[in-house]
Amino acid sequence: MVSRVLVGFGTVVLLALSAEASVAFADEPKPTPDNTIHVELTEPVKPQAFARPLKFFLTDVTDRSGNAQPMLVYKPRNGIFLDRTPVEITREALSNCLKSSDMLAPERESADFLLTVYLFRFGLTDSSGMDFFGKVELAVVVKNPKTGKSQQVSAAGTSIAGVALRKKNIQKHVLEDIDNAFGDALRNFLRGQSLRDAITALDVPPESNAPRATTPPASDKPIGTPIG
Amino acid sequence: MRFMRMTMVVAFVVAALPGLAKDKEAQFKSVEAKHFARAEGVELSPEFTDYLYAELRAELTKAKLFGQVLGEGEVVDAADAPSSIVIEGNITEYKKGSVAKDALIGFTAGWRSMKVDTTIKRRSDQSVVASPQIHVRASPRWKDKVLAKEAAHQIVNELKKAVKDKDAAK
Repeated sequence: MVSRVLVGFGTVVLLALSAEASVAFADEPKPTPDNTIHVELTEPVKPQAFARPLKFFLTDVTDRSGNAQPMLVYKPRNGIFLDRTPVEITREALSNCLKSSDMLAPERESADFLLTVYLFRFGLTDSSGMDFFGKVELAVVVKNPKTGKSQQVSAAGTSIAGVALRKKNIQKHVLEDIDNAFGDALRNFLRGQSLRDAITALDVPPESNAPRATTPPASDKPIGTPIG
Repeated sequence: MRFMRMTMVVAFVVAALPGLAKDKEAQFKSVEAKHFARAEGVELSPEFTDYLYAELRAELTKAKLFGQVLGEGEVVDAADAPSSIVIEGNITEYKKGSVAKDALIGFTAGWRSMKVDTTIKRRSDQSVVASPQIHVRASPRWKDKVLAKEAAHQIVNELKKAVKDKDAAK
């Protein structure tokens, strides 16, 4: 009798464990065409005007978010995925913005400044629970290849969108939210005072770009004050 | 007779059309919201101030008083500066509340509360348009970010009132 009860109890425990495992497996969302969104700027951000026409070259975009699943932007209800990585989206959008204002250098050698982008956050973040909070944070290292000097410019974009009940509407709001936050971050970078300050500090006038011929030869250099 | 009635109806509709115009002309060319500072002893995370900043920008966009809602630190043309304003603030007090008090006593006892001093300045001459002091409260069972949502709403309402009062004084 006791053994029968034990067998029955064991069966119940095993069934419960297997059910739990199947629920956990079902919780892990998978990207499908239905739950994938395409983030793209509706129109390129126009960069600010500088004292002289400048060309920028986008050397690299690196994801520093530490997110193991950068394309999964919303986990509940089978998830919402991006169709490309945040790195690809940022590279394309920033290139388009610079290209639209004829500020994108075709190759590294012809650029006045090199841009290296580090992405710290791309997607949704914790909100009040009554809305979606989209946030994009990036830092751009602006380098003058002629002098080798560089400065870091930080930019961030935020957006708030209302919650929804239907999956279709949730997807629409999430897309709108990320689009706005991303556009806002690029705008914050390209039209920000920080970029202007960095360019002012790093830029050298074209006439002083030529290598200096006035460096005295080693023999002409002052030797130093005699001791004693 | 019928023709007269029809003509009168059409005349009323035509007269009312300008009032039904969907978008009013923006009163300011641009507004810039800054991240609010926190006074010493205010135990709120940097994420909270980020959220407050985002909510404030969302509310400013909804208000339709401004041609453009700028991000923090964006460049503004010198010509646009007189019709551009900047919103700065300082979170002076935050009490995290007590769930136990809220459950046992009720009637808003034990609620979270936050006080914010806000300054709304004209960009060109730094003259103060309004300086509302905001006090918001919410149940401790809700997330603290609910306070940010309510604070942003109140700041924009105060701004609207200040603009209305100035228009009436002119």
